[in-house]
Amino acid sequence: MTAETILIVDDEEPVRRTFQEWLAGSGLPCEVLVAADAEAALRLANRRPIDLAVLDWNLGAGNDGLRLLEDLSVFQPDIVAILVTGYAHQATPLHALRMGVRDYLDKNQDLNRQTFLAAVRKQLDRIRPAKQHRELHQQLAAFRSAVEKVLPLVQSSAALNDPVPLPTAVASLCRFLRHLTGATDTVLLIRQVADGDAAETCKVYDSGGAPLAVELVPFARSLAATAVSMAEPCVMNALAATAAGTVHLQPFERGRKSVLATPLAVGPGVHAVLELFDKSGGFTAADRQLAGAAADIGAELLRQALADRQTRTTLFDALGAALEATRAVTDHGPPARPDEPPPAAVLESLRENLTTAARAPGEADAALRLAEAVRALAVRHGAPAVEHCIRVVESLRQILDVIGGE
Amino acid sequence: MSDIFDELLRLMHPDRLLRDPRATGAGVRVAVIDSGVERAALEEKFARQGVTIRPIEGAVFSADRVEPSPYTGRQSAPHGTTVADIILTIAPGVQIYSADVFGPQGGTEVETVIHALHHAIEVWQCKVVNLSLGVPEAKLQPLSRRQQFLRAIEEAYYRDVLVFAAAHNEHPLTRSYPAVFSPPLISVDKGLFDDPLRFAYLLREQVEFQAHARGYFGPFAQEPATSWATPHLAGIAARILSLRPELKPFEIKAILYWMFRAAEKRS
Repeated sequence: MTAETILIVDDEEPVRRTFQEWLAGSGLPCEVLVAADAEAALRLANRRPIDLAVLDWNLGAGNDGLRLLEDLSVFQPDIVAILVTGYAHQATPLHALRMGVRDYLDKNQDLNRQTFLAAVRKQLDRIRPAKQHRELHQQLAAFRSAVEKVLPLVQSSAALNDPVPLPTAVASLCRFLRHLTGATDTVLLIRQVADGDAAETCKVYDSGGAPLAVELVPFARSLAATAVSMAEPCVMNALAATAAGTVHLQPFERGRKSVLATPLAVGPGVHAVLELFDKSGGFTAADRQLAGAAADIGAELLRQALADRQTRTTLFDALGAALEATRAVTDHGPPARPDEPPPAAVLESLRENLTTAARAPGEADAALRLAEAVRALAVRHGAPAVEHCIRVVESLRQILDVIGGE
Repeated sequence: MSDIFDELLRLMHPDRLLRDPRATGAGVRVAVIDSGVERAALEEKFARQGVTIRPIEGAVFSADRVEPSPYTGRQSAPHGTTVADIILTIAPGVQIYSADVFGPQGGTEVETVIHALHHAIEVWQCKVVNLSLGVPEAKLQPLSRRQQFLRAIEEAYYRDVLVFAAAHNEHPLTRSYPAVFSPPLISVDKGLFDDPLRFAYLLREQVEFQAHARGYFGPFAQEPATSWATPHLAGIAARILSLRPELKPFEIKAILYWMFRAAEKRS
């Protein structure tokens, strides 16, 4: 959080100097501005936010402190003030309270260093939590605004630069192997296992690359699992007769006569098996060899398509989760200090949102670190720094695209 | 004119050794380092044939855990069950230990295989290790990993443990390990024989022996594969070991060679 700014407005120079010296010697973490009249005060308020105003009731030339406070609140709606007056009994408390006056100091009675600093300290203690909360919301709003600006750009850029969308890659691969072997149908099963986690996601695509909505049997009991462990194309020309005991047929395998299952070594934690079905007369050793030779090309094609999709999904999910997190964080209290991470409750909320959107363990934490880094950047250096950060990310993407040959 | 070796050759005929009623694999512990074994499926299958097999034990190994997880009698993929079934078909008296290195991640990492190998030797005290699940060459980078793997195989040899490894030698570029480390182990290629107890000595790059390559249970079992050939030879070795458990790996290798020569000479 930035230090509080205190504006002293008094037409008497010795009073201004005295107040300034008292504050300078108090050790209070604040910045002190001084103005001799309403015009100078308003000029200062136009340049920077004022948290607390110490105003003389009678500013001379027909101006009074209460009127000035009304004008100052145009620049800073939640400004509070201490009125210094010799006519405290003349003040209209309710109206003054509404205007933002929180305390009075009577020049003729109790105004000394101790009472002045006590009044200022009391107001600063009240201002800080509200200011902290306000600043947090401003920072999140800036962050949210930045993300909302960059998200459509990233999405449209991804759409333009997508060289081989996954469905196209799958359809091409299926067509290629069907043509090579004479199979009548193909299905691609892709299983992804998160690192160090038994949870798996299996997706099946038909020969056109469209996802198949079917209920799958556990991978451990599937033909595909055997093909993966064999690490080479496998043939079964009497499919129905063989499937028993240790294996269950997938819905798309039932009723088929023969299968040639080709594992594609896509990468760690990703198993892809291309299953070709029902060649007239059954699959031969030559088909196995052809499938084996095509497997490396197919794996590379899928690797690129999946990696591309994974990267973009992760980025979109992270940005989406960051946006969601900014919504959720407003429900929690402000952090103790701006240069510290948000409270545990806020972080937990962020993590929950991110985990919901993330695909693999680690992504949520990475996205959270990214969001926190951007937040800290915004806190310390404001919106221009966030803009710069967005430009750096964009440059990095361009460099990676060049390196990746996109 | 015959000499003493001809005499020996006649005595070493497979029919004499492998058809011996005592050659059941009894007393021999065999580790199946693979994708896990579906215990109930095999118990049920052999019970239907009137054969009682010893309860299969095991553990599940993964790269991120020092201690293996308990074996629950389940497979991570059907491959390991087919392998165990072949060994039990050839040598029903053996004690099978399932070392599941496939796990939910579905990969065979070098460190996991080494871990399982050490466990099979030191904890389970296995005399025979079947490795139908090979590690591709790409996973042996950097060189230190390859050295570590070779060292583990050598350790097995110096602990009198027989390691049978599938050659997986059909891929035009990729070599499968540890079969390539031929000297301290027995690498096995696929062949088709009219009798599953028959096999061949066929010395060439990466390969020493050929065994029957069709399995009996599970998907793709009827598809000839080195994965199915390896447990055939491991089962044959278990049968020999049940006749004389203290035989050394090099003795088993020599006996296998002599048996092949004897059968070849007679045919």
